[in-house]
Amino acid sequence: MIDLQTVNANIARVPFFRFLNFEVQSLDSLHATTEMTFDVRHIGNPIMDYYHGGIIASFMEATAAIAVRPDFTETPAKPINLTVDYLRPGQKGPLFARANVTRKGKRIASVSVITWQTETDKPVAEGLYHFLLV
Amino acid sequence: MAEISKEKMDQIAQMWNARGKGLITHMALEVEDVSSEGVRVRMPFNTDFCVDADQTLLHGGILTALLDSVFGLANFVAIDGVSTMATLDLRVDYLRAARSRADVIVSAHCFRKTRHIAFNSGSIWFDGHDDAEIARGTASFALTRGDVSLFDAMTKGKAS
Repeated sequence: MIDLQTVNANIARVPFFRFLNFEVQSLDSLHATTEMTFDVRHIGNPIMDYYHGGIIASFMEATAAIAVRPDFTETPAKPINLTVDYLRPGQKGPLFARANVTRKGKRIASVSVITWQTETDKPVAEGLYHFLLV
Repeated sequence: MAEISKEKMDQIAQMWNARGKGLITHMALEVEDVSSEGVRVRMPFNTDFCVDADQTLLHGGILTALLDSVFGLANFVAIDGVSTMATLDLRVDYLRAARSRADVIVSAHCFRKTRHIAFNSGSIWFDGHDDAEIARGTASFALTRGDVSLFDAMTKGKAS
């Protein structure tokens, strides 16, 4: 299994992942947990300083791609499509995500992702992502 | 469907271009066309949104973010008296690899509005390649209606 330091170094080479500004906290063959640091460029609602829904979806997609292919070196796993359910506003502060690979076949993987802030039982959003592995 | 006034259209474009902070500002979106039938927005190519070392391949997430933003704009235009708006859910299909250094064009519209919910769909392609759609999305939004519209709150710079 690839070590965290190497994964985080690979992440730091992806321009968009630097834009999101997150790190992998834990990793095993079917899961990845990440933490994103809040930044002004992530804001969707400038009155309330909430995260942009698209940033939350992007962060979940990045986490899912790492769970499915943690050993990527150049580009992350190829996404096919996604569905996101927005449950609460993402407030100013760190955002956490956990991706769970539900099924990984020869060609296609299904990954579910959940994000939260201070309490794990109060999710900000949930998502389902498909990736093409070939 | 009633055409919106040139004045409101200009205000909307201005409001978007003058938000001052946040992702929409960073994406440097330019509103190209606004009517109650739908909106079209341009996002200049930006290497920050790429995933590869050559910086020619856009991350899918930025396309999702773009759809979410432009759906919001389409709702502003199509629905009167919206006080707040929150994305309920969003589905995006990535139709081909987003590999280009051309500007990105998004077209979106609200295809159904009720008192509480708005339904949207939209499409993305690279400028000059409208025959090669790169992503398509649908979303639903939860609306609240009130005296102070989100549009007024934002143009006047105060929270409702």
